Amino acid sequence: MSRGQVFYLQMGCLGLAVLLAPLFMSNPYYLNVLNVVALNVIAVTGLNLLIGFAGAVSLGHAAFIGLGAYLSGMLSSIWGWPPLAAALAAAVLAALVALVIGLPTLRLEGNYLVMATLGFNLIVGIIMLQADQYTGGPSGLSGIEPVRLLGMTFSDDQSFYWLAWAVALLGLALARNLAASRVGRGLRALHDSPLAAAAVGVPTANYKVRVFVLSAVYASISGSLYAHYFGIITPRTFDIFRSVELVTMCLVGGMGSLWGGFIGAAFLTPLPQALHVFDQYKDVFYGGLLMVLLIREPEGLVGAWRRLRPRFGPKATGRPA
Amino acid sequence: MTGGEQLAQYLMSGLTTGSIYALVALGFCLIHKATHIVNFAQGDFLSLGGLMMYSLLHWAGLPAPLAFVLAVAAVALVGAALERLAIRPAKSRDAMVLIFITVAASMFMRGIFKEVWGKQALAMPPLSPDVALKFLGATFTPQNLWVLGITLAAIALLSFFFRATLTGKAMRAVAANPRAAALMGIDTDRMVLYSFALAGALGGLAGVIITPITTLNYQVGVMMGLKGFASAVLGGYGSFTGAIAGGLALGLLESLATGVVSSAYKDLIAFVILLAVLFVRPGGLLGRAQQVRV
Amino acid sequence: MDDILAVENLSLSFGGLQALDGVSFSAPRGLVTAIIGPNGAGKTSAINCMSGVYRPQGGRVMLDGRQASGAPQHVLARRGLTRTFQNLQVFANLSVLENVMVGLHAVTKSGFLGAMFRLPGHRAEERAIRERALEMLDFIGLAELSGQPAGQLSYGDRKRVELARALVGRPKLVLLDEPVAGLNPAETEEMGSILLKVRGTGVSLLLVEHDMALVMRVSDKVVVLHFGRKIAEGTPHEIQNHPEVIATYLGGREEPINGVAEAAHA
Repeated sequence: MSRGQVFYLQMGCLGLAVLLAPLFMSNPYYLNVLNVVALNVIAVTGLNLLIGFAGAVSLGHAAFIGLGAYLSGMLSSIWGWPPLAAALAAAVLAALVALVIGLPTLRLEGNYLVMATLGFNLIVGIIMLQADQYTGGPSGLSGIEPVRLLGMTFSDDQSFYWLAWAVALLGLALARNLAASRVGRGLRALHDSPLAAAAVGVPTANYKVRVFVLSAVYASISGSLYAHYFGIITPRTFDIFRSVELVTMCLVGGMGSLWGGFIGAAFLTPLPQALHVFDQYKDVFYGGLLMVLLIREPEGLVGAWRRLRPRFGPKATGRPA
Repeated sequence: MTGGEQLAQYLMSGLTTGSIYALVALGFCLIHKATHIVNFAQGDFLSLGGLMMYSLLHWAGLPAPLAFVLAVAAVALVGAALERLAIRPAKSRDAMVLIFITVAASMFMRGIFKEVWGKQALAMPPLSPDVALKFLGATFTPQNLWVLGITLAAIALLSFFFRATLTGKAMRAVAANPRAAALMGIDTDRMVLYSFALAGALGGLAGVIITPITTLNYQVGVMMGLKGFASAVLGGYGSFTGAIAGGLALGLLESLATGVVSSAYKDLIAFVILLAVLFVRPGGLLGRAQQVRV
Repeated sequence: MDDILAVENLSLSFGGLQALDGVSFSAPRGLVTAIIGPNGAGKTSAINCMSGVYRPQGGRVMLDGRQASGAPQHVLARRGLTRTFQNLQVFANLSVLENVMVGLHAVTKSGFLGAMFRLPGHRAEERAIRERALEMLDFIGLAELSGQPAGQLSYGDRKRVELARALVGRPKLVLLDEPVAGLNPAETEEMGSILLKVRGTGVSLLLVEHDMALVMRVSDKVVVLHFGRKIAEGTPHEIQNHPEVIATYLGGREEPINGVAEAAHA
């Protein structure tokens, strides 16, 4: 079986699981959790493209999610735009902002993007709090319209479940198509040896910027869906902590592995719900988990799996030691 | 207030915050030289400096000079612990992984600070009683002078340490060429440890002297850390002189710009400057772009 | 003579070190040109200037009649210049086949959106890329290793992957930085045969090499550098009998180079 076939088989299994899961959900609250998982999968998939391909990490993805959420929310609730058009406009703006941040920083070593995105996240937080005539300040923006499409309204947990997971699966498939293409190979090559990649014609800086922009668009879409689903958004949802949480999800699963990101999001999203004490100690928990993971197992769960079960999986031979 | 007096006022506050940015930038610089990574916990060193000082004064009731020394030493110890417990044992030597270990450490530390000291702002007393001083029309407090004086003293000490002591010279050798330094019998691991401890001390020092002016809470260092980084970039990342110049320049720019922009958006300025510098002169205002050898 | 590459008065220095000092030479189209010289002669610096890694401080490089110095690497790749590296730069996490497929980047064009949505043009191009890469693996003798991650190959096989990657896009000129360094005699022999086979396909080659036996076997023209200056240029036969070259190699001022004594007296 080729790797492409393996991927689509995995996608098929996941699709089936998504279709069947609601049958086993007695409590609508669980659907709500699954919906948040889907939204995180979308953002993490985008971030994973950046980490795995460009070898760069963003600490500002929560801000791109926030940008998507606030812009979409403001356009639809203040100016009466249809939610989908608002989400689209937000994605375009997120792309432009990512371009402005990425162009100067991605030519340089990874450090600069990390700091620039961290700064960006702080700034977006400040604007959300200060520009209260538009954003509602600390108490947030409420009364955001749900997404309407083909006569359906995606407002309750059940209907939004279909929408969120459809987008999440589509996002995964598109990311995988990119990975398996000329562009994706160029990007992976660039991660291994920027010098040799340039020597065969990969415009390295340009590709890194594009991947960053793409990952910002994924984040923005995730944020827009979030806003139209919950109907209310507050600045706290999009702070630095959220950005670190997203990176943790990528790294727990395995840097640059699309399924790794999925596993990370699926595993870490329900944790706060499962552990009530968790909310108070979440920085200690995430910080500690991420630290231990990076020290002991920098390739994440997928990497550990490949190492422990060398005869399994499509990438059976794994990476060199 | 006349225009001149206002200017003097801006200069005074710009120099004060600029000194702090310079101290933080120097911390970034030290760790960069030793390991070529960015230490994201640098800002948390600053928070911890202030928090320790607060506790030693209010909980332990120590006299200010003793509390001052112990607070700085405690943060230096935390810096060393970060290197020993998190950076050195890491399996991967990939810079990105190491950088994210410091990101994680930063979040972990902040979580602990929040548990120990709470989320509320704490009232940090100045080093000497507040009286209004006047100079060239600018009004300021003795704490401003403490900040300027202590920063100056720290820079002088640091410069002496690197120029005149054997350990300082060894640290410079490791920064210039770790392999050659190791061949010369220098314990490079130890020098890296010292760099983290020294970076911790600088961060702690900044926290102790600035929090009476700003405010003190568990995450006061986050924004300061970012601005310290912006300063380091502004001065040409990795250069000590650049870090000091960059810090003062950013502090002054920010202070002057507050006269023009609303203070609510003051923090935007550092970020805009950071991006602008990266766009135009990625080597920093004092630095120059290097050609990589293959 | 028709030259694929002309280097004119090239100068490059690192701090106080003058790596190249007014070097001029040319590489004829369709032939093999070798640059030789003792360690530190400036050979790799010359390759790095030609391929766009370094920007020379003086002089210029002309590729197929147009200025090349100053252009970034990926632009030069599109203009038909590729290279291999002295310290191997295979894409360790990509398979052998994927490594060679990346080699076609400069001569293909589908973009992000085409790839994500698998547009028809993109799919046709992907098929063509795969077929061409497989052909190349056959040519270079790596077909049976195509699915292996390149990072796990033997040193000699990794060298061949690099060569295949540089050749697959049918470039006009390939720069080879020490193609047989670190290879055993059998592998060196085989690499020599591959290079001659490549020459037969009309691709121009320019190599930097220490192995004199190989240089004498495959080259049509040899350029000798010494301390950043050109001291001789000519056919292998002329170079073997060039007094200054013999003095440089045998005069004891530099370490003798592998095979040079035999080559010089052959």
